[in-house]
Amino acid sequence: MKTDPEPLFERYLDGRITGAEMSELNEVLEHDEKVRSDFVDWLNLDAALAAMSHGWVAMEEIGPSVVRHSWIRRVAIAASVMLAAGILWFWQDSTRSCAVVAEQAGANGLKAGTRIRGERFELDEGTVKLLTRQGAELVIEAPAVFRFESPQRLRLEKGRLAAEVPPVAKGFTVVTPDGDAVDLGTRFGVDVPAEGDSEIHVFEGEVIATGAGGDRSLRGGDALVMNRGNGDARELRSAAFIQADELPALDAGLAAGQQARSRVATEALKSDPGLIALIEFDAGPRRPGLYRLVQGRWPGSRAAEFVEVGDHLRLEIGGDHSWPRLTLAAWVRLDHLGAPYQSLLHTDGWSEENPGQVHWMINGDATMRLALRENVLAAGSEEKNGYPDSGTPVLSEQGRWVHLAVVYDSDKGTVRFYLNGRFDRETRQSLAHPARLGPAQIGNWDRQDRKLSGRIDQLVVLGRAMSDEEIGEYYEAGSPYR
Amino acid sequence: MSPDEASHHRAFLRQFTANEAAIRAFVRRLVPARADADDIMQEVSVVLWEKFGSFRGDGHFRAWAFGVARFEVLAWLRDKGRDRLVLSEKIVDLFGAEAEAREPRLERQREALEQCLGEFAPEQRDLLMRAYQPGARIATLARESGRSEPGFYQWLYRVRKLLFDCVRSRLGKEEVS
Repeated sequence: MKTDPEPLFERYLDGRITGAEMSELNEVLEHDEKVRSDFVDWLNLDAALAAMSHGWVAMEEIGPSVVRHSWIRRVAIAASVMLAAGILWFWQDSTRSCAVVAEQAGANGLKAGTRIRGERFELDEGTVKLLTRQGAELVIEAPAVFRFESPQRLRLEKGRLAAEVPPVAKGFTVVTPDGDAVDLGTRFGVDVPAEGDSEIHVFEGEVIATGAGGDRSLRGGDALVMNRGNGDARELRSAAFIQADELPALDAGLAAGQQARSRVATEALKSDPGLIALIEFDAGPRRPGLYRLVQGRWPGSRAAEFVEVGDHLRLEIGGDHSWPRLTLAAWVRLDHLGAPYQSLLHTDGWSEENPGQVHWMINGDATMRLALRENVLAAGSEEKNGYPDSGTPVLSEQGRWVHLAVVYDSDKGTVRFYLNGRFDRETRQSLAHPARLGPAQIGNWDRQDRKLSGRIDQLVVLGRAMSDEEIGEYYEAGSPYR
Repeated sequence: MSPDEASHHRAFLRQFTANEAAIRAFVRRLVPARADADDIMQEVSVVLWEKFGSFRGDGHFRAWAFGVARFEVLAWLRDKGRDRLVLSEKIVDLFGAEAEAREPRLERQREALEQCLGEFAPEQRDLLMRAYQPGARIATLARESGRSEPGFYQWLYRVRKLLFDCVRSRLGKEEVS
């Protein structure tokens, strides 16, 4: 048989094939590999068209562009369009899909493949990645409220968004209560906190910020707090935004059951006889201090976020005891700043009269430091500043959740640093006092150079030395990634 | 849902959503009408979910799903398809055996289709999508677009042919570059 098989395909597709034609089709499919391959391609096209049509809302509802010919019809449609003129814009906005959910982690109700039009979304937990019709990639973290006004215009009432905008989607605009961010082909972030002013952070390229004070051009590395006259520059919060490449690892972590594992590990810690304090933010009364509550490592969980220079959280831990051994561990998501110090835990009693008072911090070069008052480094130590520091930087340029830990043993005179469950370095002390805590702060300590920029999800203070294995297991159980 | 059930559910959803288009296209390939393919696809997704517990996590989900779908299609052909004009079981088996090998190419075709469809005038695109919606009535669409019914089928054929050629030429370029 040498006839063109395509008409047969077509009739089969549309359910109009006859018995004789069906036998012919079966025959040729069985014996001709080329025809079989073409047939598969045609049916594949058909299946894809059918899948696309599921999310389709007919254009007829929004305009007269399909129908022509009859002048009576045309008049009738013109009349109905005039009647509908008031709601026409609404139809146009709400019936076309502006974006599709490409990926998500813990954002229940917004599963991958969901088409998004002009509806208003309240995302209570999790993180979602949307792909707009023009190809802009948007990662939005809960708690968030947003709505597309068009595929090129997103109104963000609340939440945190990281955008990657290809050249074809140039002009993509994020509308916030405090002003707009108009993209010029770039990567940028917009933070609209529940309380406080909106911020724009530009990672790469250029963004125009339009607010009450006029337009401002921001370039890679610039950040701006809006709604303060013309806006105030601020340091780039590199870790504040979940970027597209982080999402799959978060989703995989959830799928692997990490959240449940973490809960079990935390419960186990609570019954550890050595536990001095476990600082969490999910339950219980709000701890005193100046900070924001934002999403933690898990969908809907809470972490403390420190943004302004004066932000801090006050603690009262360990009373007047002395601790020969001490383990400090925390899940953090910190910005990589050039600033001299970021303060993880600073005790208030830091003075000559109180040897052993603890200061745990991140240095300007992103290494981690554990300083105990009146302790002395062993001769030949590499550290030049007189305090034990980790060997490697513990913060990356683009922030993610990291697990930091340090184990102090005054009897052995050792300080051991850990990053993401892995031993980093041991520093020896020739004079090592038992550790002392008491009133302390996370975040700003002296209102000048000791601030903190980023989130803390969980901080553990343990009055014993955790082993390498324990730290490794604790990290493995608590990691949100896979 | 317990945490274990939740993660089981999520693992399934992740696999299923990643492969749904491929499974759907596979089922579509084996039965003559889209409506039948939709029915069978529903059955297939239920079976996949019920049997997901016995599916070994390290195995290849899509290949496993093709196997399940093929079984469901054969059952359907023997039952409902007896009096209908359907592909022979031999062809169904052939397609089943070839499915995995064909899939990468078919996936690229489905992706290219989005772009090809973007080159169409909005009203053409709209008409095509409406013709593909479940329960679409060709006679009505033909009348509304000022065509006879055979004329509408002709138009559908031309549009599909254009898309088919567009998809192929896009893939062709891709293979060259």
